[in-house]
Amino acid sequence: MNWLKVMTLTTAMTVTSAMAEVAVIVHPSNAATVDQAEITRLFTGRGTTFNNGSKATPLNLAESAPARGEFDSKVLSKSSSQMKAYWSKLVFTGKGTPPKELTSDAEMKAAVAADAAAIGYIDAAAVDGTVKVLAKF
Amino acid sequence: MKKVLLVTAIAALCSHSVQAEVNISGFASVMGGKLTSGTGVPEFGLGPTFLANYPTVGVYEDEWTFKPDSKFGLQMTADLTEGLTATVQLVGRGADDFEAGFEWAYVSYELNEHWTIQAGKKRLPLYYYSDFFDVSYAYLWVRPAADNYTWQIFNYTGVNAQFNYQLGDWAMSGNLYTGREDDGENKLLSEFFGSTPIREIWKDIIGGVLSFNRDWLDLRFTYMTYENQRYRDGVPVLWNGKDTRRGNFAGFSANIDYNNWLLLSEVNRLTLDGGDFDTYLISAGYRIEQWTPYISYADFDSEGEVHSTTSVGVRWDFHSSAAFKFQFDDVTDDGFNGGQVAGDSKAITLGIDLVF
Repeated sequence: MNWLKVMTLTTAMTVTSAMAEVAVIVHPSNAATVDQAEITRLFTGRGTTFNNGSKATPLNLAESAPARGEFDSKVLSKSSSQMKAYWSKLVFTGKGTPPKELTSDAEMKAAVAADAAAIGYIDAAAVDGTVKVLAKF
Repeated sequence: MKKVLLVTAIAALCSHSVQAEVNISGFASVMGGKLTSGTGVPEFGLGPTFLANYPTVGVYEDEWTFKPDSKFGLQMTADLTEGLTATVQLVGRGADDFEAGFEWAYVSYELNEHWTIQAGKKRLPLYYYSDFFDVSYAYLWVRPAADNYTWQIFNYTGVNAQFNYQLGDWAMSGNLYTGREDDGENKLLSEFFGSTPIREIWKDIIGGVLSFNRDWLDLRFTYMTYENQRYRDGVPVLWNGKDTRRGNFAGFSANIDYNNWLLLSEVNRLTLDGGDFDTYLISAGYRIEQWTPYISYADFDSEGEVHSTTSVGVRWDFHSSAAFKFQFDDVTDDGFNGGQVAGDSKAITLGIDLVF
């Protein structure tokens, strides 16, 4: 019975969050441009710099944040479980460290606004002048 | 998956203080299973047995057991800043009665954005799944097929240099390593393939891995050469009158994850003292939301030792950090001239893998 509940809940969450748009954000002073492939590279630990050569620090939202699932599926084309399996392989073989996680859109905005190297994402509705939007998905 | 602890060591006598951020993460598998049928090997006096894990001698028999595939791992990484980290990984396996030991213990230094140097004890990255064999959550099945992962040595102590480059749309990564392993009483050789204590040494290990990754395609090449030395009850084992022999290992793996289809494969050859030990594995799965049913076939072939495993199963990602798995394995042992391992067997295994 519990298993059934988990499944129903997951399905319900997927449906509601499918409405939201995700905005990929950087510090307002950041002049780099990114496409989906580059974002994927940065968030899978395969790249550490923007296309202009400056250092990039990806920041992730925690799984409890609605935009996380959206980002994983729309931008990285993976489920959050697949991303967890991917990072498990790297973490436990000393080949990589997953991006630091922040718990909310507000925290993410504050972190990106404070760090010229940061790249993160939030619900597009939460964007304001403290951050610069590079792409929307 | 990671909990961050701020460990603060404060020297009480003066104002001097040291801070290191320590990341703690871990993995666990609780798997139970039993044989549904098996022949054993009457000429060795071995009853019906499914040898699920060669190096740790994880065996399923007629009664339910949780030991062969259950394990707990705890990893701690201290970030000493400026690219320097120290990592230990403690693993307790049911096959060893959960006696935990340091499976990994190394320091790592990031030279630049492309290269990282590591030194210490690590897993040998021979086959595709060798270095994350214990982290079952990271792969599809209950375990990578035993027919491929048969080698008695799976760690080494030495130096490893790993790299990461972007070549157009391809991500290229890999590593070069050298080191040795001296296993005072090797479990597989001493307990399963014999009854006298065997000290197994793999020395002058030199190896490399090269991976290419693009969207849904993952290609991996692996090579390793080493010198084998062995002592049976303290007496050197001789091969053609010499107390050492050279082994050369080469492998290729291609994996595809496309439109919810998973196609996994690897093919490997170890040439040891002129003899070839050939292994391959093919597997297919299809992802339907949280469910991934799969099939796999794995094969081992050398002079006299010939066996294969056909597996069917399902992975269910019922939780964001845990997966339930159920698997049925059918082993065929066609060994001859004393080359049998554990006879034919059929077995079921089910349980949960998780990471934190």
